[in-house]
Amino acid sequence: MKSETIEEVARIARLKLTETERTEFSKDLEEVLEYFSMLDEAPGEKEYGLNPIEILDMLREDEVRREIDPELLIRMMDTFEELVRGPRLV
Amino acid sequence: MKIGLEVHLQLPTVSKLFCSCSTSGNGPNTSICPTCLGFPGSRPKLNRRALEMTIMISRFLDCRISERSWFSRKTYFYPDLPKNFQITQYESPIGVEGGYSFNGKIVRITRVHLEEDPGKIKRVGKSGEEVSLIDYNRSGIPLVEIVTAPDITSPSEAREFMADLLIELRHLVGLSERDEQTVRVDANISVGEERVEIKNILGLKNLERGLSFEASRQNKMLKAGRRIVRETRNFDEERRVTTPARSKESEEDYGYILEPDLGVYQVSSMAKTVQVPETPLKRAERLSAEYGIDRNSIRQIVLTSSTLTDFLERLCSNMPPEIAVTWVLGPLSSNWKYLERSLNEDLSNRIENTIQMVIRGDITDSEARMRIGAFARGGGAETTQDSKERSSLAELVSECIDQTPQVLFDFNSNKRAANFIIGQIMRETKGKYSSSEIVETVNKEIERRLKDRVII
Amino acid sequence: MFSELIDEVPSDSSFKFNFSAKDNLCTIDFQTRAGSRILDGYRPPFDATPVSRLRRAGGLLIGKTNMDEFGFGTFCTNSGYGVPRNPFDIERSCGGSSGGAAAAACLLEDHLSLGVSTGGSISCPASFCGVVGLTPTYGRVSRYGLVDYGNSLDKVGILARSSSMIKNHFPTIAGSDPMDPTSCAQPTLDLDDTQIDSIAVPREAMENIHPSVRDSFLRALDIMRDQLSIDIHEVTIPSLRFALPAYYVLATSEASTNLARYCGMRFGVRGDDVTQHFNDYFSSVRSKNFGKEAKRRILLGTYSRMVGFRNRYYLKALSVRQTTISDYARVLKEHDVVATPTMPFIAPRFSEIERMKPIEMYRADFLTVPPNLAGLPHISVPCGYVDSMPTGMQLVSRHWSEGTLLNIANLWEGVFQYRFPGAQQ
Repeated sequence: MKSETIEEVARIARLKLTETERTEFSKDLEEVLEYFSMLDEAPGEKEYGLNPIEILDMLREDEVRREIDPELLIRMMDTFEELVRGPRLV
Repeated sequence: MKIGLEVHLQLPTVSKLFCSCSTSGNGPNTSICPTCLGFPGSRPKLNRRALEMTIMISRFLDCRISERSWFSRKTYFYPDLPKNFQITQYESPIGVEGGYSFNGKIVRITRVHLEEDPGKIKRVGKSGEEVSLIDYNRSGIPLVEIVTAPDITSPSEAREFMADLLIELRHLVGLSERDEQTVRVDANISVGEERVEIKNILGLKNLERGLSFEASRQNKMLKAGRRIVRETRNFDEERRVTTPARSKESEEDYGYILEPDLGVYQVSSMAKTVQVPETPLKRAERLSAEYGIDRNSIRQIVLTSSTLTDFLERLCSNMPPEIAVTWVLGPLSSNWKYLERSLNEDLSNRIENTIQMVIRGDITDSEARMRIGAFARGGGAETTQDSKERSSLAELVSECIDQTPQVLFDFNSNKRAANFIIGQIMRETKGKYSSSEIVETVNKEIERRLKDRVII
Repeated sequence: MFSELIDEVPSDSSFKFNFSAKDNLCTIDFQTRAGSRILDGYRPPFDATPVSRLRRAGGLLIGKTNMDEFGFGTFCTNSGYGVPRNPFDIERSCGGSSGGAAAAACLLEDHLSLGVSTGGSISCPASFCGVVGLTPTYGRVSRYGLVDYGNSLDKVGILARSSSMIKNHFPTIAGSDPMDPTSCAQPTLDLDDTQIDSIAVPREAMENIHPSVRDSFLRALDIMRDQLSIDIHEVTIPSLRFALPAYYVLATSEASTNLARYCGMRFGVRGDDVTQHFNDYFSSVRSKNFGKEAKRRILLGTYSRMVGFRNRYYLKALSVRQTTISDYARVLKEHDVVATPTMPFIAPRFSEIERMKPIEMYRADFLTVPPNLAGLPHISVPCGYVDSMPTGMQLVSRHWSEGTLLNIANLWEGVFQYRFPGAQQ
């Protein structure tokens, strides 16, 4: 895998790679992808599912229920005046 | 000019799309749970009502309903998106290939799908130490996305289309009254060959403004002999201009995959049990065709009230439609607020008989009007005069406009329409208020109402 | 082998049995870190359904077992919290990714270990540690509270010293759970004894197996035929060889989206400087706290679903999975179970593992991956001993037929004696 490709994939996945990692991963992934290429000749079925078994029409009713107190969840997070703190946007 | 819209509307369910949290939080982060916060090990569970509403909207928009539909993960990183992927629909939207007839043409609907809303970034912290501060109450609220083909031809038409669509959807699934301000739209617009997408426009006013700015920007560029590049822009509400959106540097590759936690939904068979009620504008269209009623009049009637429209239908089957429309638009419309309260079969008969008597020539037009006025006052035991003296001037004006709403329609084209109200108030208050006071109050009230209403 | 252990076992004996849970199962009273530094200190606000069901049935949760980070590994050498050692030989691997669970099941008598398998993470360590490991049908046991690896592949199962222990407790954790819609499509669990007539052995599974492991498996088949009167048939399932690449594409694609949420907000470790731009903040938290194999699989999974590669890898893998399911169905129509060795070799030494390339490690899963990809229930039972190390036999049955597996394992235990390290000393 080319260095620019792995850099682009890492950016999309929000990973910063060190020089060593980049070299190592590009070699590893090259080998793995080469192995994956056997999928090109694999017989595949036209119809396929999301799951190995069929899961159909699973729905819940539109009802409000509270299983866990939101207060408890707020306490687990880094907050400021009940708002969850996160990094800068711009 | 070609304009296509991607409309995002919150569906008015009581619980969220994938969890049982309430959709109406009381204070920041009060309606949250592991699922809508994306905690490890939590699972989505689909809200039946949200799916039904989306099916209903798809059917209303004449879409073909997918036989099997499922959800997908759209991965991108943003602090308001708890899982850093959004559960949405990609290859199997609920509805596809529909159309909505509007302004005498069909706006094609490309797709209708269901997805979850991210949280809301409330504040960005103090300057110098900017952070994002997020309320996840909105995270997981159901959104329906409606995508049109580029069949709209002007910014004002885009706004009218949206306004009409909202009237219909409000009736269909009960959207909130604030939707005209809160609806989120992505719009693409091309005046020449290449199209530009304007992302995340909030509300109908901004939609028209953003598109108008973009149309003139593109026109100027073409006139100057420059090429328009395909790009994504943002609309700046304050400066009312569009600006280029994020650079290529941070472009996302959403890498859609299927969402295995929910499975598959056989929506076309579910659609068979979903009833689509007749919406106001569709009804107007039908009545216009059935009875040959003028489009604007029938639109005015259906927008006033559905019971008034019921009454019109009743009258139309027993008398010439043009007479029915005159009476409905006139005395019935102005008194409807009061008539509606005590409307029953007996009152309905009395009103209809009154009109029939005019048609037969038994009574005069003005006598009939007086009778209808008396029905509205509940038999006339107490004169409106008495009660009105107890009210303030502002209340009197407001009440008077309520009874003759057509003034609002006329005012747009002719400011002198206000004189009708002014005269009436002067007569009723008999010099209690100065005429300049009355003129000012009336004009203020009319303008206030017009500002609040987008559709006239 | 434990990543967190109970301080003191309560002296009152109101508990009917002890159990442990793999560290990717959420527990209120223990940290849940899934072997990852990025979840250090995370205490979930709820119990995973299999855990809460065992507690309600009178079980005492004694601890959380160590695992490869998020389940990414074959040898349990990818944990952020140390490497568990094989009870038979501490220089060797426990197998992965439920390595701690297998070691606990092996060392502790009458102990029930909850494990999780995505592509063989129950069978593999069960085989290396000489215990029984049941991986149920996909959707049989609720995944509510399971830290996701690949949502279309993950299954919670049990490891223990005998199939009868598993049989006793499996009905407790199985069954529909409204908190996990994918668990609500299952038929009723039936563990009644059934007649076992025929075992299919795919020819493809006999290649690339270490000779001594292969011999031990063949001896086990002989015992089955001679002492249990079960017919053994060689069959061919050509599509099995495509299961491994299809699995790795699907599993890493799903994993790379599941792991997107770990970014230093809301739960898990936080970054040092929240005033950074979010892209930098997220990247630095993730780069610092994910281990090497996690990064590798995130990259692989992200790549497999990117525009331009999605059709070739991700969508193709989905359709290959369907082929695998159909091919198994064809064989299992004629036979009760499909049998293979569980792993192609005995538990390797850590020194050997260090020399292996990622692709070689992935390929070691070629026998455990196919039933996992197809969502088929399977069980690994000890079937022999090579150089004092256990070997395993993996039996695969039709969707929802866990009863068949527990039944045949029970028959096997009547004719084959398992060994455990403590007993030998």
